[in-house]
Amino acid sequence: MAFPDDPDLINRFKDGDVSAFEELVRKHQDRIYNLCRYMVQDAQEAQDAAQDVFLKAYGSLKAFRPDASLYTWLYRIAVNTCLDYRRKARPEQTEDESVIDDLASTEPSPEQHYQSKEIGQTIQLALQKLPEQLRAAVVLKEIEDLSYEEIAKVLDTSIGTVKSRISRAREELRRLLQKKV
Amino acid sequence: MKCSQITKMISRYVDDDLGPEEKRLFELHIQDCSGCRHELEEVRAVHELFASAERFPAPYGFTTRVMANLEAKEPSWLWQLFTLRPFFLRAVEVAFALIIMIIGVFSGNLLVADRTSKTQAVQATVQESFSLDLFQATPPDSVGGAYVRLMGAGDER
Repeated sequence: MAFPDDPDLINRFKDGDVSAFEELVRKHQDRIYNLCRYMVQDAQEAQDAAQDVFLKAYGSLKAFRPDASLYTWLYRIAVNTCLDYRRKARPEQTEDESVIDDLASTEPSPEQHYQSKEIGQTIQLALQKLPEQLRAAVVLKEIEDLSYEEIAKVLDTSIGTVKSRISRAREELRRLLQKKV
Repeated sequence: MKCSQITKMISRYVDDDLGPEEKRLFELHIQDCSGCRHELEEVRAVHELFASAERFPAPYGFTTRVMANLEAKEPSWLWQLFTLRPFFLRAVEVAFALIIMIIGVFSGNLLVADRTSKTQAVQATVQESFSLDLFQATPPDSVGGAYVRLMGAGDER
């Protein structure tokens, strides 16, 4: 389905056309929901978080600068919303090795091993063990396939910091997933 | 290059972010160092794991629910006036107080005026009821009084 350009939709929305916002949600819902799925604990939480993202976006879209990229802006709201959800759900986890046990308990059968669903679950579980800033950076890179520059804009940090976070996140995941890979 | 330097470059190598010279040195090192090569393979495997992981589309009816939530959360114009516009609220307060005061003054006047006239009426009635005329055997405006007047008041004397 072809959607109008973001600037067109934003202008229509600013002129009071609520249906433009509806189109905007429809256009970006998959990317935002997918991001949330990998950022928070489970499907229900991801859905709640993604809903919140668009409700927040609705509230501040009138103040959105047209020169900025909408999906970068939406990603930023999404990352912050998901991190808030995690903080509310439980305080930041202390570093431990329990992921290996957790992963072992959901050990898939060999024929399922490479099925994307199982891999998705395994990755989700491992991601939950990462410090939040590393998780956000690596999810934006690996799941959403953003460039370093785009991630830096979303996370409002330098490209150097993004590269370093992704590197540390991969190193950490490598350690956590050693038994699975 | 040292192994510690190389391991920091692995992630960027996987993303093809190294400059030509960095890349050449990196690949040169990897050829000879099995430890770094092994680490590169593992990081690459993590990267490929992500690539093959499920992508989740938004659940059916997601947009409809967002729009429904928006309507539910959209405050009424009255509520907006009261919450988003403190100056408007203050103005309403002042106007309300003034109206109450004006109503108070006017209705007070009315009550006072009313009471005075009522008091006068009551006083008149009371005066009348205490009037000795009531106790006259034949008040001049009664039938008896007229009769007495006809028969001639002088007779009584």
